[in-house]
Amino acid sequence: MRNHSPASFGDFRCANCGAVVSVMHMLSGVNNRNHCPYCLWSCHLDLYSAGDRLSACKAGMKPIGLTLKRSRNKYQADSRGELMLVHACVDCATVSINRIAADDDPEAILSVFQSSLELVQHDFYSQQGVVMLDVEDVGAVHAQLFGQGVLA
Amino acid sequence: MNTTDENDQGVVFRKSTGHYTVHTNSREIDCELSSRLCKSTHPTADPVAIGDQVRFMDAGQGSGIITEVLPRRSSFSRPLPVPGQLVVEQVIAANVDQVMPVFAAASPTPKWGLLDRYLVAAEAAGLPSQIVITKMDLASGNDSLESDLDIYRRIGYPIHLVCASTGEGVEKLKQALRGRMSVLVGKSGVGKTSLMNGLQPGLGLRVKTVSSGEMGKGRHTTSHLQMFELGFGGRLVDTPGIREFGLWNIHAEELASLFPEMTRYVGQCKFGLSCQHDREPGCAVRKAVMDGHVSPYRYQSYMRLREEL
Repeated sequence: MRNHSPASFGDFRCANCGAVVSVMHMLSGVNNRNHCPYCLWSCHLDLYSAGDRLSACKAGMKPIGLTLKRSRNKYQADSRGELMLVHACVDCATVSINRIAADDDPEAILSVFQSSLELVQHDFYSQQGVVMLDVEDVGAVHAQLFGQGVLA
Repeated sequence: MNTTDENDQGVVFRKSTGHYTVHTNSREIDCELSSRLCKSTHPTADPVAIGDQVRFMDAGQGSGIITEVLPRRSSFSRPLPVPGQLVVEQVIAANVDQVMPVFAAASPTPKWGLLDRYLVAAEAAGLPSQIVITKMDLASGNDSLESDLDIYRRIGYPIHLVCASTGEGVEKLKQALRGRMSVLVGKSGVGKTSLMNGLQPGLGLRVKTVSSGEMGKGRHTTSHLQMFELGFGGRLVDTPGIREFGLWNIHAEELASLFPEMTRYVGQCKFGLSCQHDREPGCAVRKAVMDGHVSPYRYQSYMRLREEL
């Protein structure tokens, strides 16, 4: 992989909802802020790895569901893994998995999860290595978003 | 004073602040600028560049005064920022035939974005470029080097892999230099002067090792511009290490056409020549990147350079 300095991007305006998004690590807790914390839409900017900003597509990426990223940390509170957002590019259909940031709206995340339950393409995404969370994961999703024992 | 009636002509081979060495009829004349020539340009801009054909008044005892710079057939320039003032042009070398961007295989790590800057500047000046990779003895273990260089091979840039200490690739490089005036450009510590010594044994130019840090930064050993007559034919300009290289007199609208692999797509976008190749729908350049015809790294370089213009 070519050694290059990733482009640095400052605060941006969400192309989907128009909200101004800060990339401050103190707010988001992530190094590469790649989606709007309000509507959760992203932009197809990365190609090979998170933050490389090498993609020329630049179309919107819609949040289509949730998945879990397995962690090698056996002492992690939830051993099933970290809750992640799944985005799909509306132009080229590329799928990417992104960390949920500290300031992401949990209600919006839950809404994405509920919409994803009606999605009929789970098999299509699993072929691409993304196992979308399903109806049996409702408890785990609530636990990670709102804390243990809280289930609406 | 032993002056001549007619001004003599010569070529500027070396310059340091206020002093120019002009070669004429196998003589070396140490020249200064005439006051008229000094006043003809911005006070911080140098009206004379290495490689310039100049007229001078011979003042005797090996000294003279440059009175006129003859029209240049080409020049390789960069902007020279003047604090608190306008940016002025700094001509690195004049009457150049080709530009040779020099990068080390390792120590210091190659900065491909800087290479793209040199290549764009050369394209803008209408000069061909040949890429030189030095210190090939340090290339083992650097698996990505070949794939990085393939990006430029596919575009059509000739690449010379050389090692000044072992002599690897030096003969082939001599062929590329023969009969032409070339300028070596690159960061400090990449081995430009070592390469000069390898090409022309006997020059004995001063070189130093790079610093021992992780990045292996150069020590700015060469501090002045100088042109050398090559024994096998041709002229070569050695330059001090350039840390920053801006683009001079290049407009944002023409930038994509200075990337040879993008040229064929310019004008084919939905918005024609008005397209900035950023987020516009129907952009042929972006599509070429996504289809694999243009390297995403080169496209990123394009976007970065465009932000500066």
